[in-house]
Amino acid sequence: MAQSTADTPRTRAGQVEPTAIWQPRLVGFLCNWCSFAGADMAGTSRLTYPAAIRIIRVPCTGRVDPLFVAKAFQRGADGVLVAGCHPGDCHYAEGNYYMRRRYVLLRDLLEFLGIERERFHLEWVSASEGKKFARVVSEFTSQVAALGPREPPRQGPTELEAGTSNE
Amino acid sequence: MSDLVTGIRAQVRDLLARRRVEYVVGYETGSDGVNARPFFAYTTEEADRLVFDNTCTHNLTKYLVEPERRGSTIGVVVKPCDARSLTVLLAEHKFPRDVVAIGVVCPGIVQRTREGGDGEAPQARCQVCDQHTPPACDILVGEATAEGPVLDQFARLAPLEAQSAAERSAFWSQQFERCLRCYACRQTCPQCYCDECFAEALDPEWVGVRIGRAENWLFHAIRCFHLAGRCIGCDECERVCPVKIPLGLLNRKLRKEVLDRFEYRAGTRSDERPPLETFRKEEKLDLA
Repeated sequence: MAQSTADTPRTRAGQVEPTAIWQPRLVGFLCNWCSFAGADMAGTSRLTYPAAIRIIRVPCTGRVDPLFVAKAFQRGADGVLVAGCHPGDCHYAEGNYYMRRRYVLLRDLLEFLGIERERFHLEWVSASEGKKFARVVSEFTSQVAALGPREPPRQGPTELEAGTSNE
Repeated sequence: MSDLVTGIRAQVRDLLARRRVEYVVGYETGSDGVNARPFFAYTTEEADRLVFDNTCTHNLTKYLVEPERRGSTIGVVVKPCDARSLTVLLAEHKFPRDVVAIGVVCPGIVQRTREGGDGEAPQARCQVCDQHTPPACDILVGEATAEGPVLDQFARLAPLEAQSAAERSAFWSQQFERCLRCYACRQTCPQCYCDECFAEALDPEWVGVRIGRAENWLFHAIRCFHLAGRCIGCDECERVCPVKIPLGLLNRKLRKEVLDRFEYRAGTRSDERPPLETFRKEEKLDLA
């Protein structure tokens, strides 16, 4: 008799079956010099953190154009994390100071457009802070998970309303 | 003929006669006999066609950033809000300081539809205007007036700010759904002057050519953010929108946050760097 295992059920094709538990999709823009190295540190230290985050390496947080963030949300991201060197530690001396100002205004604008401020997060993680990186991703994942899936603009409420009224 | 019109014509005739400028961008009465339209005066005779009244809605500084006009010495008729535009453009080095700004004390501009039936109510921007005398102009036409108390320019934001994120998302979805992406909002904005707009870039294709809700959302989010700390609040984007999307709300929201956080108002001072172009190391903003 086959023993039931805790393994994820697999279809015949070998793909992982979609589970009932919804996982948020997160995009992380990490600076090459601090936070990406910090994420590396988390990996080599065998620390676990949620796999919900897809990491994109950028040279500096100052390289993060608001367009990148808005594009991620447009394409259905549930949350966006930007992480870079601590203030004063930027590899390019001042890139993160520019990002800091840009971040607060972009967060205000996105919130006004209907994207909760908890979905967009800026964090300073140094190359030695593997533990902090794992904690930040865990906390951000549960924070976004608590909000639930975001309605991407293409599936906005008006379309749904129109659908029900036609029935 | 009002004193303002007489004053503008005299100043422009003088500028053209002295060859101080090649031409002057101003207003003339349009073909409907009521509403003003932009007009380029090259000769002293043409200077007598210039007018100024409460229908002069256009922000004429937009003409100055057109590539073919760089290098010419131009005179331009500016209202106080247009003068703020000019300050921003000069600070961004869009042209050398060879513009002669003819500032006009502004009585406020009225709302008018193309049919002319919308009455004489002042435009939303004029109801909250606290600057009727243009700052930093080369020539001032009209008597400088004392600025009276005005309505709160951010009051219009309050109802939307009080809603939940989901409600706001639904609101903007409905608004952006109508967008035709005619880009009139961009074309009329004096602060929008990139040679290649991100909205039309094909490599990488940031926005997408489809006129869909997601693409429209991205265009408006970024168009607005590109004006953060630069928008002077002329609301022309909203006025020219053929499907009446309240774009002024988005710009106003960012103006409010820029004012709250950085005590900065675009175009009022030429010795101050725009907030996103600078930083203070010690500032915490409201981050942990």
